[in-house]
Amino acid sequence: MDSFDLIVIGGGHAGVEAASAGARMGVKTLLISHKKDTIGQMSCNPAIGGIGKSHLAKEVDALGGLMAKATDLSAIHYRVLNATKGQAVRATRAQTDRQLYREAIQDLLKAEENLTILEDSVEDIVVESGTIKAVITSNTGEVKAKKVVLTTGTFLGGIMHTGLEQKPGGRIGDPPSNILAQKLRAMPFRVGRLKTGTPPRLDGETIDWSKLSEQPGDTPTPLMSYTGNKEDHQKQINCHITRTNTETHKIIRDSLDKSPLYSGVIEGVGPRYCPSIEDKVVRYAERSSHQIFVEPEGLNTNEIYPNGISTSLPPEAQLKMIRSITGFEETNITKQGYAIEYDFFDPRDLRHSLETKHIQGLYFAGQINGTTGYEEAAAQGLMAGINAALKIQNKKEWTPGRHEAYVGVLIDDLVTLGTKEPYRMFTSRAEYRLILREDNADMRLTKKGRELGLVDDKLWHKHLDKEKQSKDELRALKTRKIKPESKEAKTLELDTGETVAATKTHHELLKRPAIKYHNLPEHNETLTKNIIDEIEAEIKYAGYVERQKTEITRLQKNENTKIPKTLDYENVIGLSNEVRQKLMSAKPESLARASRLPGITPAAISLLMVHIKKERKLAG
Amino acid sequence: MDFETIVAPATAPGRSGVAVIRISGPLALQIGGNICGEVSQPMLLRPCSIKNSDKKTVDRGLVVFFKGPASYTGEDVIEIHCHGNPVIVDLIIKEALLQGARVAEPGEFTKRSFLNDKIDLAQAESVADLIAAQTDSAVLGANISLSGEFSNKINVCIATLVNLRVVVEAAIDFPDEETPDEDVRSLVESANDQIQFISGLIRGSEHGALMREGLGVVILGAPNVGKSTLLNCFAKENLAIVSDTPGTTRDLISANINLGGVPVEFVDTAGLRSGSQDSIEIEGMNRAKKAVENSNLVLEVVDAKDFHGFERLNENSLLVFNKVDLLEGAVPGEGLFVSASTGEGILELIDEIMKTAGLHPGIEIPALSRRRHILCLEKAKESLEESVSLLKDKSSLELVAECLLSAQINLGEITSPVSSDDLLGEIFSEFCIGK
Repeated sequence: MDSFDLIVIGGGHAGVEAASAGARMGVKTLLISHKKDTIGQMSCNPAIGGIGKSHLAKEVDALGGLMAKATDLSAIHYRVLNATKGQAVRATRAQTDRQLYREAIQDLLKAEENLTILEDSVEDIVVESGTIKAVITSNTGEVKAKKVVLTTGTFLGGIMHTGLEQKPGGRIGDPPSNILAQKLRAMPFRVGRLKTGTPPRLDGETIDWSKLSEQPGDTPTPLMSYTGNKEDHQKQINCHITRTNTETHKIIRDSLDKSPLYSGVIEGVGPRYCPSIEDKVVRYAERSSHQIFVEPEGLNTNEIYPNGISTSLPPEAQLKMIRSITGFEETNITKQGYAIEYDFFDPRDLRHSLETKHIQGLYFAGQINGTTGYEEAAAQGLMAGINAALKIQNKKEWTPGRHEAYVGVLIDDLVTLGTKEPYRMFTSRAEYRLILREDNADMRLTKKGRELGLVDDKLWHKHLDKEKQSKDELRALKTRKIKPESKEAKTLELDTGETVAATKTHHELLKRPAIKYHNLPEHNETLTKNIIDEIEAEIKYAGYVERQKTEITRLQKNENTKIPKTLDYENVIGLSNEVRQKLMSAKPESLARASRLPGITPAAISLLMVHIKKERKLAG
Repeated sequence: MDFETIVAPATAPGRSGVAVIRISGPLALQIGGNICGEVSQPMLLRPCSIKNSDKKTVDRGLVVFFKGPASYTGEDVIEIHCHGNPVIVDLIIKEALLQGARVAEPGEFTKRSFLNDKIDLAQAESVADLIAAQTDSAVLGANISLSGEFSNKINVCIATLVNLRVVVEAAIDFPDEETPDEDVRSLVESANDQIQFISGLIRGSEHGALMREGLGVVILGAPNVGKSTLLNCFAKENLAIVSDTPGTTRDLISANINLGGVPVEFVDTAGLRSGSQDSIEIEGMNRAKKAVENSNLVLEVVDAKDFHGFERLNENSLLVFNKVDLLEGAVPGEGLFVSASTGEGILELIDEIMKTAGLHPGIEIPALSRRRHILCLEKAKESLEESVSLLKDKSSLELVAECLLSAQINLGEITSPVSSDDLLGEIFSEFCIGK
């Protein structure tokens, strides 16, 4: 087979974004997946978005990625979470049809000119003097490449647990790829162990829907992609809610001795924010009920995903537990829930470009780095693809900063801090949350994406158009005024309870939390919801954003204070041994990154700063 | 590169019974050994001969070794006690310099103590304050700061804010977990508690800052209303010349008095009148006006028996009617009535001065504090108040989170600022020598 610039191993959410990014940037790319059909497969709940995650999906979209586009083509239920809270923390979540999503991804990939897809499995990689040279597949043999992105998910030593039964595996039906894993284990990469779980799937035909409360999607339906179209939306269907009860909890408690979690079989650390139902019942013993979101897996399947009860209890206990729940009295399980334990490579062995520190030209992205979630995977895949392509083109690497994108927060957290549990994005991880919003991901990133060659004409023109309209409207808002006692002022007070005591511009009025754009007496009907969101947020957050920007400038100073690679922490007198150990193992690249390490005190940062300045002075 | 060893006298310059020289850093033990002989056992005060590099005895004294981190700076420290003669002190320091130490910068011992995590910033500041304390209360106040009591209060408040932030962040990131209204109500309550707490700290700190900085009170008024008599009355001695001739006081005369632990400087000034041709008197009046600008408080004195209403010289001043002992009939207006010559009403006047200056009689001795602390506390309070008003309407939780974070950062600045070299430099430069 020909040689390639870039080879991406794995066709999950990280893999497809990496391959697509490379191809869009014009490098000759090969995507290797052991089954063409499962490219773009959603292995767990078929939902995209949610708090912090939709932010990532939209950033990937703003850089021309696939995820949000495929979502808009396959979603069957949309909801904006935190809709009653401020713009910055609102998050779109879409339930998709699993099959349609996969097909949409595969169609988008087929349209890429520089991309070849190979169905094969990678058995080994060829490394010469610390640099990746080629991959070896079972059927095609050796394929040469300048850069390789590895996105193989939980392939490392995965063990599935159902009750006390275990079998090796990744997802149900997929063989774990162990030869490559062994090869990588022989390298000096640090390895950690995690676990995650999934609930049993239910047969929708056997659910008594009349007993569940309906949860309709939002109308009008929101969009995930900046270039999305409401006309492309699938038929929208409802989700439902039911709850566990004391009987459910009793069944779970009675079966704990057969749970691998509680019988000591599982060693991996699970996510605190997404506990199994066993964990919930044990940890929140005082609560008599937990919510279950009953979500459809697609339009043409009766399979149902009961969100909130992931479990690894034995099959009999799972069935008993399910049937104790209102509406599920007669329900059949189509697939058992299970817990999976897997190894991941400590992301602290990666650089910010996601290139590994031990093998040049090899990049890791996705669950292999200890993250969970499709969006987290997609964001890393995109960034690994971009940086591999930039290196191939002899250009400067690029990773957005923490103040520019959630993608930046994600990568900086991973490579600086590593992770002890499956890493999921939250808005609270972003210091500059008010700036990093769903409504402005394109304003933050699309220009850069265009420069890099990631953004097609459609998105680019749409973005330019939005930028112009938004600017024009902001200007117009400053000229339109409302006088006190006027008819407009009275209507405004009637609608919002806000009084106009002196003549105010619309711009000034929009600063008040209670006044929304549509409350204003004149408004531009041609503006899209996205533009209005952006305008409102810009105005309402202005004061706070100003404060955050000052903070960013201050931090940038520390970010620019590079810690020399040769710095010997033994020579920085005054550091406690503990701090010294932490710094020596983390080797932060800048003062700002050092300050984000856990357990590094401000005093330690001062010592470091003084030391660096002194060394610089000595060096002249 | 080795971190440097520093040396400086720990006692004031000049002749005295005993002087102490402090050496801190990796070479301290070695230098101490060379000068004083064997000193390996920590925390043991040992008599010794103090010798120079030619093995000649310079003095006889005591030496003590503090092994890092159990020392003031957190590093190895040697203290040499010699006779308090500047020549001897210089000889010993020169010896230490020859052996690789360098002279400590002002505040450097305390700076190292802070950098080595022995004390936090508020504590470090209190060391300088303790040295500079002018009244007994200021000494006690500085010790409250040094002991970490003040820092502890700040840290407790920070811990509470962190808990509040956890609740708010959880409500933002886990919206499906249904945050009940009680949670928001208890957030408001808790934030209000912290506002109260910080307000208390601010009141204490204002008092504490005055204890540290002192209070400047200027006595202002027309000629011959008894300003100088009032100064003498405060000082309880005849500092200013008193006569019936208007314009007797030409220059500024001041008296320092301890009022409730606060060092107060009263400044008597030249009487203000128009039409004077005397260039010395005119200069005196200019100085009086300058003194007002630099003061915390102005006492505007008028003659009670000769008062027919007038334009106030200073809007924020306290109006004092003097010579009430000579007054016949009704009081001429609203204000404080005293007689500087009989002492009548003086205690009430002092109470009023304290109250106006923000001193709270009966307050427990507060931690000695600085304007920097008050500024941080006020900013934190402001942010908390903003968060409470934002909580009225649940739609702005992300802004509530901003405010809480901002309050937390402001409080943190008091004890452990995110390293800003300038701030640290400024704080440690206040030490006059070594320490």
